[in-house]
Amino acid sequence: MSDDKPTQPSNVRVLGFVEGKPLVGDRKVPEEEDSVMVWPHLLIRHGVVALAVMVFVLGISLFFNAPLKEMANPSVTPNPEKAPWYFAALQELLSRFHPLVAGVLVPGAIIVGLLALPFIDRNPDTRMRNRRIAVATFTIFMVAWIILTLIGFAFRGPNWGWVWPWQEWYGEL
Amino acid sequence: MSEDLDRRHFLARLWTWGLGVMAGAAAWTSWDFLQPVAGQSGGPVATVSPDKIPTDSVLEIPAMRGYLTEIEGATEAIWWKCPHLGCKVPWCETSGQFECPCHGSVYNRKGEYRRGPAPRGMDRFEFTIINGVVVPDTSKIIRGAPAGSPETINEPPKGPECLDPTAG
Amino acid sequence: MSLMDTIRKSAPGRAIWRTPRRVTDRDRAAAHWGSFLLHIYPVRMRREQISFRWSWFLGVASMVLFGSLIASGIYLMFFYVPSPSTAYGDIIFLQTKVAFGQYIRNIHRWSAHLMVLAVAAHMARMFYRGAYKPPREFNWIVGVVLLVLTLLLSFTGYLLPWDQLAYWAVTIGTSMTEFVPFIGGTVGGMLLGGTEVGAQTLLRFYVLHVAVLPTLLVGIIMIHLWRWRKDSMLDMEVASE
Ligand code: FES
Repeated sequence: MSDDKPTQPSNVRVLGFVEGKPLVGDRKVPEEEDSVMVWPHLLIRHGVVALAVMVFVLGISLFFNAPLKEMANPSVTPNPEKAPWYFAALQELLSRFHPLVAGVLVPGAIIVGLLALPFIDRNPDTRMRNRRIAVATFTIFMVAWIILTLIGFAFRGPNWGWVWPWQEWYGEL
Repeated sequence: MSEDLDRRHFLARLWTWGLGVMAGAAAWTSWDFLQPVAGQSGGPVATVSPDKIPTDSVLEIPAMRGYLTEIEGATEAIWWKCPHLGCKVPWCETSGQFECPCHGSVYNRKGEYRRGPAPRGMDRFEFTIINGVVVPDTSKIIRGAPAGSPETINEPPKGPECLDPTAG
Repeated sequence: MSLMDTIRKSAPGRAIWRTPRRVTDRDRAAAHWGSFLLHIYPVRMRREQISFRWSWFLGVASMVLFGSLIASGIYLMFFYVPSPSTAYGDIIFLQTKVAFGQYIRNIHRWSAHLMVLAVAAHMARMFYRGAYKPPREFNWIVGVVLLVLTLLLSFTGYLLPWDQLAYWAVTIGTSMTEFVPFIGGTVGGMLLGGTEVGAQTLLRFYVLHVAVLPTLLVGIIMIHLWRWRKDSMLDMEVASE
């Protein structure tokens, strides 16, 4: 029985218990049954994820070397000239549209749109089937972005011309 | 300002304004502090005497990051940086024009816009002639005319372009 | 009784952990008060919240990668001087003369790419879970800021090897700022420290990469995690199934 008495941390004192709703998030307090202790249940999962990620990184670092080209030379522009892969979609847009549109308005709109998302999508429901429009819009943008990234990264060669990645490879990490 | 602004709130407001002024001063000084310092990048570069400059082609001067050319007796010092996204624009001898491989912008021998995604013609440097030598100042840039302005020289492409014609 | 228990029970152990015993759930809950590392976690979470499908563990993966980047980045700093005359040679030296130099550089490079990927995927997963909805709007916004900072960190680091890849990718990236109306030219000049990518640019990017941006990122991550802990027991206004 004595085992069930709480350990009193020395830096806090319980003054009393108040029955009622919590001040925030007043919908429901999780019942004992559907909640678990973070320690150990979540901590052990996080530990496993951390190990898996580190094993992966340390593993690929054994087999693949970070690229290093010739020393920087302002009088020779490599052809094709590629931005880092996460800007490949932007670069693809830049080759098609005026830089003000592709380099400023589009990325600006994406960032502002993401920041404002909670206030644009006012539907409080989180179930997928009840937010079809939001899910569809986001998916369309995301897929378009992924496709543009792939094109810019792998399908562009000299003079920003089209190449098939299985014939010539110009992607740079 | 309402009449019932008492001493306590007046002081509170004063402190708030004080903080605002401090923040403004910090922002202003930091902004100025981080501006590029003249002379740390770019400046006068001694090149060649004007009679060495070709009248039907261009002379590449790596030290000034550009090309010298002569058009109707006037020297031009053209910056090689593409006004689109900054690639070095190579000179194409066969067509007699500047052709950027990055996204295919094309300029005439004076650096004036012909076609492609660039928003304006190539930029040029101010230059002086000191002791019979052209000295462009690479920190003094004259921006090219916006895309669509008429070309001021009549030099149509004289041959095949260096750009791969199938490239977009 | 294990060795750890004995240590915890000793006087210094009590001074450090305050709560010596870890037998019941109550002991563990109490430990969340006394432990710095544990205090960033809530005490209890709902079962679904710790399942794989809740977050795909992408947030914690990003954190682990960030940790890997800090560690490997510190190693790299021992051998790197941010000046055009030395930078490239330093990388060559690191790769050829320093024990495990190439390996550390590989870890830094691949962790960086993976972190961009993990953070972006984390954001997508949070979208599909509807995690940006009340009462969690603010943490979504903090997350978007973290994504932007991650991209900036990766981009500033891209210049440092001072090879052709770095030089021209950064030339293109910084040329884009010129098209921002009104302030674009000035901001571009401040980034470059001149009119073209050069010594000043390398130094500026280095300072941003090793001091300014990581500090900002750590600070904002703290807000992100604090908010996650505070919000963890809140229910969405309309719950998922
Ligand atoms: S950089 Fe020259 S066309 Fe894009």
